[in-house]
Amino acid sequence: MKIKILTLAIAVSSLAFTLSAQAHAPSEHMKGAEKPDCAAMKNMDHSKMDMQDPVMQAMMKQCMQGMQHDEASASDGHEQSERGGHHSDEKSAEHKH
Amino acid sequence: MAVRNFLSCAKYLLVAAGITGVGGLAFLYSGIYPMGADVPHNALTYWGLETLRERSIAQAASDIKVPKDLDSAERLLKGGADYNDMCAGCHLQPDKTQTDFTLGLYPAPPNLSSNGSEHGHDDEGEYAQQRQFWIIKHGIKASGMPAWAPGHDDERIWNMVAFLKRLPGLSSEQYQILTARGENSEGHGH
Repeated sequence: MKIKILTLAIAVSSLAFTLSAQAHAPSEHMKGAEKPDCAAMKNMDHSKMDMQDPVMQAMMKQCMQGMQHDEASASDGHEQSERGGHHSDEKSAEHKH
Repeated sequence: MAVRNFLSCAKYLLVAAGITGVGGLAFLYSGIYPMGADVPHNALTYWGLETLRERSIAQAASDIKVPKDLDSAERLLKGGADYNDMCAGCHLQPDKTQTDFTLGLYPAPPNLSSNGSEHGHDDEGEYAQQRQFWIIKHGIKASGMPAWAPGHDDERIWNMVAFLKRLPGLSSEQYQILTARGENSEGHGH
């Protein structure tokens, strides 16, 4: 009986400790977290940027994902517009015929 | 003769110590010392408390081993996000000079986005990092600075120290990018 009570007490206190640690987990701060304003990087003086500087490396790391996404969507848009252009050329050519 | 003089002197010293002790207790219980945070300590009390704090931290922090990779981008990102969530309310961020907390706290928390020479605490060299680590981990009694050790391991605290090392030179745009936890970030490894 005593062992059961002791086991239960240890289990409850372990759970309470785990939950208190989780309360400070970084994932708790993710709710409504601000996004990095990577557009501000474009306005910075690139000639003064030192790529060996950890601050610059950290900023690049933060914004890389977003920049790649932007570039991908930009090139997609470019391809689509080019395709659209060809299509309209073809159409106009067909029309001419 | 010498023994008699010594005993007489000791008797006076004991009486003086007794009077000082009783006087001290009477002062404590009288309640006349202003305890409100809006009334500053007198110069002597301030000096005494500050000396006590700095000597205690120096003694406790001197053996702490500083990691060699504090200058890593990974640490800056992890520490920056935590600083913004847990510290910026009191210790400010670039281009901010006050918050509701900084206006009301006494002693006023140092503005860690400014240089050490401006807030009076050296922020360069090994001891500065040992000191910052110790303060973040253990907090400071009766100052509003909590101990972050419960719920935050040493690595996480060193990440904050790494960020503090670079904070004074950051622009507000750099600060925003480094401290954001949002979707564009790579999750800071969490």
